[in-house]
Amino acid sequence: MTIQASLKASTAAAGVKAASPLRDLNGIVHLLTCGSVDDGKSTLIGRLLWDASDLYEDQRENVRKSGRKAADSDLPDFSMLLDGLVAEREQGITIDIAWKYFDTETRRFVIIDSPGHEQYTRNMASGASFADVAILLVDARSGVKKQTKRHAAILDLVGVKRVVLAVNKMDLVGYSEDVFRKIEADFRTLCWKFGFWDATAIPLSAVYGDNVSTKSDAMAWYTGPHLLEHLEKAPSRGTASSGTFRFPVQTVLRDGQDFRGLAGTVSSGSVNVGDSVTDALSGRSAKVIRIATMDGDLKSATSGQAIALQLDVDIDVSRGAVLSSSEMRPIAAQTVEARLVWLSENAFNPRTGYLLRTVTDLIPISTLEIKALLDLETMSSHPSASCGVNDIAVTKITLGRPAAIDVFSDISETGTVMIVDAVTGASIAGGVVTAVNAKGEILGDGHFNLTREMLANGLCRDLSLSSSDREEFTRRANEAAILLRSAGVSVAIEPPPPIDDGLDPGL
Amino acid sequence: MTASPSHLDLLEAESIHIFREAAAQFRKPVLMYSIGKDSTVLLHLARKAFFPQKLPFPLLHIDTTWKFRDMIAFRDKTAKDFGLDLIVHKNEDGLKQGINPIDFSPSIYTDVLKTQGLKQALDKYGFDAAFGGARRDEEASRAKERVFSFRAAGHRWDPRKQRPEMWRLLNGRLGTGESVRVFPMSNWTEKDVWRYILREKLDVVPLYLAKERPTIERNGQLLMQDDERLQPKPGEKVVMRKIRFRTLGCYPLTAAVESDASDMESIVAETINAQTSERVGRLIDHDQSGAMEKKKQEGYF
Repeated sequence: MTIQASLKASTAAAGVKAASPLRDLNGIVHLLTCGSVDDGKSTLIGRLLWDASDLYEDQRENVRKSGRKAADSDLPDFSMLLDGLVAEREQGITIDIAWKYFDTETRRFVIIDSPGHEQYTRNMASGASFADVAILLVDARSGVKKQTKRHAAILDLVGVKRVVLAVNKMDLVGYSEDVFRKIEADFRTLCWKFGFWDATAIPLSAVYGDNVSTKSDAMAWYTGPHLLEHLEKAPSRGTASSGTFRFPVQTVLRDGQDFRGLAGTVSSGSVNVGDSVTDALSGRSAKVIRIATMDGDLKSATSGQAIALQLDVDIDVSRGAVLSSSEMRPIAAQTVEARLVWLSENAFNPRTGYLLRTVTDLIPISTLEIKALLDLETMSSHPSASCGVNDIAVTKITLGRPAAIDVFSDISETGTVMIVDAVTGASIAGGVVTAVNAKGEILGDGHFNLTREMLANGLCRDLSLSSSDREEFTRRANEAAILLRSAGVSVAIEPPPPIDDGLDPGL
Repeated sequence: MTASPSHLDLLEAESIHIFREAAAQFRKPVLMYSIGKDSTVLLHLARKAFFPQKLPFPLLHIDTTWKFRDMIAFRDKTAKDFGLDLIVHKNEDGLKQGINPIDFSPSIYTDVLKTQGLKQALDKYGFDAAFGGARRDEEASRAKERVFSFRAAGHRWDPRKQRPEMWRLLNGRLGTGESVRVFPMSNWTEKDVWRYILREKLDVVPLYLAKERPTIERNGQLLMQDDERLQPKPGEKVVMRKIRFRTLGCYPLTAAVESDASDMESIVAETINAQTSERVGRLIDHDQSGAMEKKKQEGYF
């Protein structure tokens, strides 16, 4: 038997063979799988890998050798292919995002596996932010649940446009069409509320492989595509050249002579040599005279391409600027409204210094105001001024200086933001911009106040009352201020307490 | 309308984006250069990211003194050909203690000459970010790795304290004492690395290509006798075999495979059709269950 043949024989799927080594694959599709352990999620992904992917034989052997069986069956425990960190294996749950890669004959698939339980909303949201297609998994015995609604709401929030409802464990309901049709109808009702472009329900059994990568004989009544077939038809990431041109500048490249190239990735639309481009903040325009790459100059570049643009005149743009056409510029935002997924274990604290990270900019936040929390199951919002981990908050953010920001539903990448703790650097929340306003409303005195309390609770938490530690306290406070100023923030540091007043520096 | 980008085009663009983000956000980055195929691709991507500028950071090689001689020759030629700033660091204390991969267990050897050596070098030069060629497809604990992987003071990796990442936003703001490992090739697979090497016509260490080489069979694995420090034990003998390597590291810890693939096309074909993943050839990973995760927590790359 040839290697090819044995590989093929070791998989259950017909028609799946290794891709030609010399040919690139036709794009990448990122799949997010959401559902809980109970829905058989790991088994479904494991089954997909087992049947349809180019797994190595030692990986298959590990599964066979373990002797572990899938629930209620004599088949190998395919979910083992998804196991990650040792600690999680011991707990028997997935608590982080795991990435898996597999190739079919023509396609690269990336599986983003994220936990489904409510306490892991943040993990799911961050996983979903990378997804092109989401697989929502439900148990045929219980159908669409509250959790499914919550998952759909998170997908919609972070901009996933294609969803598949995988109705699993059909074997346990006698492969009944009636059961499936009812769940499918519930799913349609659910999707109505959201902005999905495509929503398809597929009846399957992950353990037995029905409709995973082969048509199920047990469900002849189902005439739609099996899961793999459906996924292979999904559009690949980064293939759209339509859309409004956006080019966030990452860095400026020089060759030591006369080249000054604005390096970045086209985040939307396309650009041609000869086009006039405009810096959103200054409104100044210049003409593109060269699109440089190490493989040679290009005549044009589209969304997803990493390039360096040389302009005919120096319009003084650098990292953080966003280039666009002169007519379709992003707003030079002073205030933005955003829906944020709170990622940090530390709840919102109005006294903490926050920064706003956009694709290539880092902007001081004057005020971050929590307006309401979103109930994902009812999609209603409730006024709230506080916010903690896994909450979805409706917020209003006033920036310390204008920044080029889009509304997410208009142009996705330049409408994404992250809230960063100015002192610890931690990623506090991530979200999407729902509205931008060029005029500042509540600017206050424009200062970021670095208080003793803030320092004592964060950066200087490890310091004692000794005078050497007080010196260290001041040194760190100054360094934090320098960092903030270099990021464009006007900073006021609360003066340190007198050296022998006996007070804790933080109090 | 041009043809839609292939998966390698997309991966390349993503890696370039990550390189540029990290170079812009960190004060003093360094590229961890380990000479193998992943480093070859990593370096090529870095050169693309900053073209036509010279690389804005140096390369760092942790030399255990047990690398294949061909690797060292390749390293020095690469640095010279591309005009790169190459730093070579050895853990002199460990070498003085006589730590070596033949008499010591792989975990002790790796800890002293690689992990401690790496920490020494990062501290000595004050690098706050280190680019590495690690991929999420390599191993289960890597499957959850971030693109910006944060290390607390002492270079410790805490899986529970990694920062969430979303969209293309990369948050590189460091807290006190923190440093970061940056993995621009996170989303590449072993097959992609080879496909890309072929597509971009990159030179690799000749050890990847099959050739008659002196070998010793030990514990069911084929080792290459790269110099006189590795001697056959009683009952073993040195035999010429046509072998090649799927991964490269310290020669007494790197198993060869018998192969006829002596040009790049056949290597790629062999890899695409391979029945085992590459870490089978890395003896250090077989030491204990969850070996890689433990090594990472201790500061291994």
